[in-house]
Amino acid sequence: MTEIGKVVVVACAGMDKPLGSVARASVFKVVEELRPERVELVCLPPLLAGVGFYAELIKSLPVITVDGCVERCATKLIVKNGGRIRGRILVLDSAKKHNLVPESGSHLGPTGEKLAETIAEEIASEVDKLIQGR
Amino acid sequence: MAVFKERVGIVSCSGEEIPEGTISRIATRLVLEKLRPDETITICLPLFLAGGEGERTFARLFNTITVDGCEKRCAEMGTKKYSGKPYATVTVTDILKEFPDFCLESRDELSPEECKFAEKVAEEIAKKVDEALDRGKTQIRSGES
Repeated sequence: MTEIGKVVVVACAGMDKPLGSVARASVFKVVEELRPERVELVCLPPLLAGVGFYAELIKSLPVITVDGCVERCATKLIVKNGGRIRGRILVLDSAKKHNLVPESGSHLGPTGEKLAETIAEEIASEVDKLIQGR
Repeated sequence: MAVFKERVGIVSCSGEEIPEGTISRIATRLVLEKLRPDETITICLPLFLAGGEGERTFARLFNTITVDGCEKRCAEMGTKKYSGKPYATVTVTDILKEFPDFCLESRDELSPEECKFAEKVAEEIAKKVDEALDRGKTQIRSGES
């Protein structure tokens, strides 16, 4: 088990690409539906602005990053801020793997929603593994 | 000769924490896709904060409008820190004060009322875009910091 049985999830949530919106939607599904008791959602901008307790959280709990594109901003920013990354998901890879493409950044559409659900399940599975110490 | 099209950069908080962040994101999308598609571009805040040179250079050279969900004003602070003072700022919680009986609840799927509120925020952003363009301030800045 991790110290207090929780995992931090961080999504890039990028505005300029639909895959950033998928990343955002997928972490909401994990936090609100799949593993609400096991996950702490960390929002990147306040972390970087030094607001709140996020800096401590990413250092004390294992972190799963969810990046929309190859820029991998969530991963870069967590590393830069001393976070303990234990899992990484790249939405672009999942989209290719499952052949699911979102319609747009503001409207994911059925395939984008399906992609978000699929990634959410992958994240939840990673959360379970980390909590069980595997 | 290349024609140079003036545009305003919109930097929105990604706001996963609270419903106001979702409003800021959707309102920004409405401006980009429906209200002022030819006059605006978005600057990806995570990329901007992670060190995206293209994003930072654009924000240094052109006018930006930051859209924040709450008083933390992460988009505004980040823009100031890396590229200079934004032309204008919009904060959802400030606009929300004009509707004391209205309460935001969702940070994922918006209700019809929340969608209408997002449209109001989008109109506020669009007004600021018009101001920036009307005043001709969306021209390349000369080393202003």
